[in-house]
Amino acid sequence: MRTSRLVVLILLLAVVAAGTWFFLSRRGGGDTGNLTVYYTKIDGTTLGTLSVSLRPPEAGESAAEHQHNVALYAAVEAVAGPPSDVQAIRFPSGTRVGNVTVSGSTVTVDLAGNVAAQPGGSFGENGEFKGLVYTLTGLPGIDAVAITIGGKTVPSLPGGHLELDEPLKRTDW
Amino acid sequence: MTLVALFAAACGGVRAAESTVVATYGAQTLRFTHVESSPGGLAIGVSDPAFADLLRATGAVMTWKPGERYVLITTAVPVVVSFAVGDRRYDVGPVALQASFAPYQSGSDVYLPFDEVLRSLNLALRRDATGTVLQPQLASIDVQTFGDRVALVAHAGAPLRPRVLTDTPVAITYEFDGVGTTLVGTRPINGGGVRNIQITQSGTARDPKTLVTVSLLPGAQHDAPRSNDDRDVVLGFSGSGAPPGPVAVATPVPAMQATYIPPDPNAPPGQQPAAAAPSGPALVTGVMAQPSQTGTSVTIAVTGNATYTWHRLRDPDNRFWVDIAGAQLSGPPIDQTQPDPLISIRVRQVDPNTVRVAISLAGQKQLDVSPSATGLSIDVGRDEVADALREGSGSIGSTVSANDNAAPVTPAPLGGDQTGDSTWKFGPSGSGSTYVPRNPRLIVIDPGHGGSDVGAARAGLTEAGLTLDMSKRLRDILIARGWQVRMTRDTDVDVYQPNDTAHEELQARDDIANNAGARLLISIHVNSFINSGPYGTTTYIAKPGDVALAKVLRQHLSSDLGTKDDGIIKSHLYVVLHALMPAALIETAFLSNPSDLSMLESSAWRQKVAQAIADGIDDYTREYPAATQGGQ
Repeated sequence: MRTSRLVVLILLLAVVAAGTWFFLSRRGGGDTGNLTVYYTKIDGTTLGTLSVSLRPPEAGESAAEHQHNVALYAAVEAVAGPPSDVQAIRFPSGTRVGNVTVSGSTVTVDLAGNVAAQPGGSFGENGEFKGLVYTLTGLPGIDAVAITIGGKTVPSLPGGHLELDEPLKRTDW
Repeated sequence: MTLVALFAAACGGVRAAESTVVATYGAQTLRFTHVESSPGGLAIGVSDPAFADLLRATGAVMTWKPGERYVLITTAVPVVVSFAVGDRRYDVGPVALQASFAPYQSGSDVYLPFDEVLRSLNLALRRDATGTVLQPQLASIDVQTFGDRVALVAHAGAPLRPRVLTDTPVAITYEFDGVGTTLVGTRPINGGGVRNIQITQSGTARDPKTLVTVSLLPGAQHDAPRSNDDRDVVLGFSGSGAPPGPVAVATPVPAMQATYIPPDPNAPPGQQPAAAAPSGPALVTGVMAQPSQTGTSVTIAVTGNATYTWHRLRDPDNRFWVDIAGAQLSGPPIDQTQPDPLISIRVRQVDPNTVRVAISLAGQKQLDVSPSATGLSIDVGRDEVADALREGSGSIGSTVSANDNAAPVTPAPLGGDQTGDSTWKFGPSGSGSTYVPRNPRLIVIDPGHGGSDVGAARAGLTEAGLTLDMSKRLRDILIARGWQVRMTRDTDVDVYQPNDTAHEELQARDDIANNAGARLLISIHVNSFINSGPYGTTTYIAKPGDVALAKVLRQHLSSDLGTKDDGIIKSHLYVVLHALMPAALIETAFLSNPSDLSMLESSAWRQKVAQAIADGIDDYTREYPAATQGGQ
């Protein structure tokens, strides 16, 4: 009886130790991979890329949460674009990612801030959204990007050219 | 108890009481009230109103909502700084760093390591007898070497306005007012005429100065400081001293991705003779892209005997693919983005006996396919070619042969999916390629913008006015040639109604063309950008049936206008997408570019635009009669 209790206690301790090791080892970092951030070059059509590393899923972070977090990161990176010494078509300064939601294979990106402050012409809009869509559709399981502005679906930006009221795909370019 | 302490430490450490930090930033006094002391340093709550003020003042933007684990700060550079609750790691663009402690949740707020946040904003907390200052920092000096030239690129958290303090043949000293630094010290360079750089700091916490002394090699020359934007300064040097030797003083500049697909290490291209290949199907063991003198060389390593066929599509759909028959892919499918002149490479086993390598090209690039005993070499040049070969075939292995056909036999993918990786999008109004106009003599001209929407504006000119002028000129030419013409507007008005939505406005323009059963819709626009760099003429399309029209229009526009030919761009433009008929949106020139602006100001040039479009319409309709228009 006493021996069996000891065995149970040892087993319990082993389980706790293994769980602790697993938890702490997952917290320690280490890449799960890279995120490719696309931006449209100043020729208006070709894409450049930069690479940022992705964190591994945190302990307790579900797959859905992780996908959302990665999509949010990807959207913010794409809207930020490359550093200013890289010639690129960029969203207007002050454009913010308000929210990101993932539903099936579609990511909805809510843009806020100065996104409507476009310079005019198709050039900027085309390049901005091309980079954003290519970045997000580079994520596993994502093939379309829906855009909302300030939480609302809009057919296009004010005075704009691109149709934004249906999800955008890479094949739109 | 010990375990609890261990978990507590792992999750962010023991926290002390909240405190308040009052600091000046320029002329602003910021009172940070959500501040806590942690073992690793001060923590700042992201809901702190003063923190929001600081981000705003530096041009940074924060992405975070209560309950979210990640806090993302986009700096003015811009670079995205990513913090995660419970993780000491934080990312500054592509660089992963360790913070002094992990961000943690406290109530509904998330607390970040304040020093690391400030560092990413190129700021530092400094104290003097009068209080605390948020001091802009000269955060880094990147050393960039180009042959016999060296550029020192200084980045800071405030506008940099260097002045030359001393200038002698052996050294030049620059003073950066208003910024401090932690980069104090001497770094050897020994290249580009520069022996070393010495960085020192002087001044006070509130009025710091950073001095950068550049020791020169004999015969060195230097340029005047220049700036890409206010927050960096480029100091250029050249000389013939010691061999250049780049020394990175700091590392914050994200590198362009230089990806490559490694070949199977057991079968490196060019080293494994075909005779050693196993019997049975050939194996595709690796695909590698490497920069070459003329562009990029893609090597496909194949062991065994196989045949191949390759195809490329027509500009603007610049996809290339090669099918290797009788082959199997020895590893998993490959998806890689690639730098110019490629965009991406994909490798797939498309059927049990065929491996397909699909390459997206960044334009109609020069491309040569060469078979060998050990695989295929595809050299992609940086130069564009007008009449690229469209297909070829050959064999690999013990018998090497190639047969490239000059005839452009591969049609553009009108609705097809010839490479298996993408399809053309068909707009809800149809493709345009099977459209039969009810009035084949009617052309609808759409002058972009108008009324409450002036479009782009510069130098007293508006896009709405310019597009109307060019449209009227086009109308007159077409009518003189016997066409019927309808304008979506012929005065400076909104087509739908004043202050309507973009949807109403754009759909109204499509409705005019669609309801009239017009032959073509031509939308005329003027481009613009935030700086004067881009220039030229672009023809935008959205659906397969627009391609042929756009190509003919582009031909005339590029040869007649004297602007740079920016080609044809496929995009998701509403007015083109929702037109039932073949349509094109022509961005005639950039209002934001001085050279293009001078052309737009010229009525003679605007007449040329109208003439070129009219000639394009005539050519297109001759080549593609109404019954078969939209064909290739």
